[in-house]
Amino acid sequence: MGVSLLPTLKLLRPTAMIVGVAFVGLLFGYWLNRTFVPGTEPLQPINFSHQIHAGLYQIDCLYCHSNARKSASAGVPSVNKCVGCHELVVPDRPQIRLVMEYWENQEPIPWVKVHDLPDFVHFPHNRHVAAGLECQECHGPVETMDVVSRQAPVEMGLCLTCHRDHQVEFGLDCLTCHK
Amino acid sequence: MASIDRRDFLKLVGAGGVGTGAGFMLREAIKHPVENLVPYPVPPEDFSPGIATWYNTVCSMCSAGCGITVRTREGRAKKIEGNPSHPVSQGRLCARGQAGLQVLYNPDRVTTPLRQTGERGSEDWLPLTWTEGLGQLSARLGELSSSGQGGAVCLLSEGQRGHMHGLFEQFIAEIGSDRLVYYDYDHPHPLLAAMNRLFGTSRLPYFDLGNTDYLVSFGADYLGSWLSPVHHGLGFGQSRQGRDDHRGRFVQIEPRMTLSGAAADEWIPANPGTEGIIALAMANRIVSQGGYQGDDVDAWAVALEPYAADAVAEQTGVAAETVTRLADTFAQTGPSLAIGGDGAGRHSNGVDALTAISALNYLAGNLGIEGGLIFNPEPVAGQGAAARHASYRSMLELAEDAREGRIQVLIVNQANPVFTMPAAAGIGEALARIPLIVSLSSFMDETTAMADLILPSHTYLESWGDDFPEPGVGFRAGTISQPVVSPLYDTRDTGDTLLAVAAAVNPDGGLTAVTTEEYLRQQWRAIFEGDGPAEAAAADAQEAIAAETEEAAVEMAAQDAPEGAAGDAPADVEVAAAQVAPAEGAAPTDPDPAGWMPDAFDEFWNSLLRAGVWGENTRAEQGPVTVDASVIDAIGVDAPEFAGSSETYPFILQPYLSMNMHDGSGANLPWMQELPDPLTSVVYGSWLEINPATAQELGLRDGDLVEVESPDGAVSVPVLTFPAIMPNVVAMPVGQGHSEYGRYASGRGANPIEILSSQMEPETGSLAWNATRVRLNPTGRRASLVRTSGVSRDLGRGIIQTTATAEEEHASTNLRSIPITVEPA
Repeated sequence: MGVSLLPTLKLLRPTAMIVGVAFVGLLFGYWLNRTFVPGTEPLQPINFSHQIHAGLYQIDCLYCHSNARKSASAGVPSVNKCVGCHELVVPDRPQIRLVMEYWENQEPIPWVKVHDLPDFVHFPHNRHVAAGLECQECHGPVETMDVVSRQAPVEMGLCLTCHRDHQVEFGLDCLTCHK
Repeated sequence: MASIDRRDFLKLVGAGGVGTGAGFMLREAIKHPVENLVPYPVPPEDFSPGIATWYNTVCSMCSAGCGITVRTREGRAKKIEGNPSHPVSQGRLCARGQAGLQVLYNPDRVTTPLRQTGERGSEDWLPLTWTEGLGQLSARLGELSSSGQGGAVCLLSEGQRGHMHGLFEQFIAEIGSDRLVYYDYDHPHPLLAAMNRLFGTSRLPYFDLGNTDYLVSFGADYLGSWLSPVHHGLGFGQSRQGRDDHRGRFVQIEPRMTLSGAAADEWIPANPGTEGIIALAMANRIVSQGGYQGDDVDAWAVALEPYAADAVAEQTGVAAETVTRLADTFAQTGPSLAIGGDGAGRHSNGVDALTAISALNYLAGNLGIEGGLIFNPEPVAGQGAAARHASYRSMLELAEDAREGRIQVLIVNQANPVFTMPAAAGIGEALARIPLIVSLSSFMDETTAMADLILPSHTYLESWGDDFPEPGVGFRAGTISQPVVSPLYDTRDTGDTLLAVAAAVNPDGGLTAVTTEEYLRQQWRAIFEGDGPAEAAAADAQEAIAAETEEAAVEMAAQDAPEGAAGDAPADVEVAAAQVAPAEGAAPTDPDPAGWMPDAFDEFWNSLLRAGVWGENTRAEQGPVTVDASVIDAIGVDAPEFAGSSETYPFILQPYLSMNMHDGSGANLPWMQELPDPLTSVVYGSWLEINPATAQELGLRDGDLVEVESPDGAVSVPVLTFPAIMPNVVAMPVGQGHSEYGRYASGRGANPIEILSSQMEPETGSLAWNATRVRLNPTGRRASLVRTSGVSRDLGRGIIQTTATAEEEHASTNLRSIPITVEPA
């Protein structure tokens, strides 16, 4: 080979530097977003505090999310359930007034999902509740959270590890979750 | 490292900044989108998100009246299945019934009341509120009614049954009119007339296919389109595979192979319109061989004398030995069953032919027995509905009245005569003379497009109603049709519309209900109170049974119960329902009914809705049937008459009801458009079936576009060679060729009804729609037929293996395992 690659590389050096800096910037931007805008504690229409309800007053999770026992989706309480208590309990607080406003207009409260699985995953809450799993194992210590955030990465690894640890029958079968 | 100059520094800073921004946005883009979790303000009592609720109701996709159960989740209908406890469907459902969801979710539904602002047919629609729409109709009807011209109001509807018929009747009476007209293209007028003539019954009988050992079907495509295909399919399976010791044998006699012909053990082609003559030849053989021993045997012998098998062989195209063999087997096998319909009744001799075919059952002693022909009791409600069904002749009279100005207001409900009547009838032009046309249809079909005012109805999955299936199953059965979802659009229950208009026109009238539900409850309360005491005793049992029904529905969905109720013979069907035995004069257990009635009725009503079926589960014993001597004397079938001369128009056109589109009402359902036709595998579009030999003679091959010309019009359609059709017959499926009816239906294929001549069966005035002759004019152009199969022949690949029907096969005890052999070539 009589031709030297060196001049070409020299010529490319400024370009390579620019690309390199841009790539480092890309990683930095991604990290910035991940650290400071995690998106795991979305803004809710009402500043509902699980810390007060589930922590301080020790209301059972299944009292409000009663569907978790019988249905695939745990669901959120209907507006009349909120109103059922708050008609008598601190009805004058500003956030409760917001609830009452929804109730008077007979409108649903558009809660934002914190934990959301893709549509190709079948996760039945009822089976997991029936198996005696604590809600906190996936949802984290909700009773300590003023604003609920996603604690565990709800990804396939989480499911598989747990299924493996508990030696769930057919727990590692693809069709158990993807059906 | 070399020092960096200013320009490079700026470049690097820029690159770093852009990179950071891109990284940030990248992560933002791959995040889950925000999803909301929206609760009810007050949830319905039986609602849990994530859990399906099944509602029982009635299918309205054809007139069979199958009970269905609809899976709903979060208030949306997701899947339709047959109701396992319904005696007609027994947990099964046909493709069209399954496609009912696409009626509900169809993007071409009329979603709000509309007023035509331009000329008729210009489609300048102005959305109205219901108050305006109902007001406009009520005002006009009120004017006519108060000035004594109520008789100029006509309500033209698809067939109604049960209490909905009563509601329609009462509505038209409130207006002061008698013009309540039901129009269904395929209403079995000839069969009803034949039953009436022969047996004096005004109802269709129950044909017990499931228990018969030998079925001879004359043209009736009982698996595809005839009367109650889902139920017949159950019977077919039961007869052939449901019994351990023997199986039934099925013979089909028709000029063009239908689905039933393809499924039969023996398919016999016969000249169009000669089915009745073959039946008489069989009857002649049975009587002359002493197979019939009744008192009136001499009268039969005299009447059947001209119909010896060899005398009619040339006319019918069926060899004498075939007819005698069929007749001997028919008489010797018990129970046997002869059915006739579809093609056999669609000729100028239709009623005579169906009478002759039904007479075979009389001669072979198949009446009132299991596996034979069983008479249906009168339904609990809607008895007068059959009389309101318009024949082709009455529709022509209606058109004449319209032309003469005797009709001022036409209210159309889901009927589409502009599409399902031949152009020769001139119905479109006649209707155009009516000053006000109001449509209650859910879709913009050809008739609705002519309307001045559209007051759209709910689809059947959003409506109230009830149904007593016709033909019934030999015992009384009824079902409430309940809404399974809330209305999707700004539409109204047909009954609600009629009740609102009736109340506005005649506030002091007899229709006191405001909603259809209320009306139905009034009517069912009368039934309940008639049967009250027995009901009260059975209340507890009902609860348990209804719970079982729900369980069965869920199980069926999980496919845990493939056998289910459907494996049972129709006669053994356990109608797990709100069974109410007739009261039989039992004294009420409670001396003060007024105290407990309301609660008991509510319980009854809820159990009806839950179970999805109400009625009996045993057939009453049927007495002997005698046929009037004058009927026997008059028995005979004339040669069929065809429109057009055989020289000019060499082929006989057989339009047949497509399994998918039915009479065209299914053409707007994408699932039905893309479902291959079971015999030809064609999807979308229309085609003309023609015998390969004929095609060769005419130099036509698959996909050649021909003009099918009758004395009354012409349509262009591609040719499809079809081996199982007689050489002088061509066939076309009905259902395509819409000019309106939404994006999926319009502008696709051709409508064979359009070119039919006004040939009628003289007694009933029904259209003899298989009695038009046509000729084929090649156009030299080609069209592409979309087919899912490549070649219709086996080509030596051994895909379709056959065996001759040998005697030993008949004798074989367990025919579930017929050894399939191929004769060495």
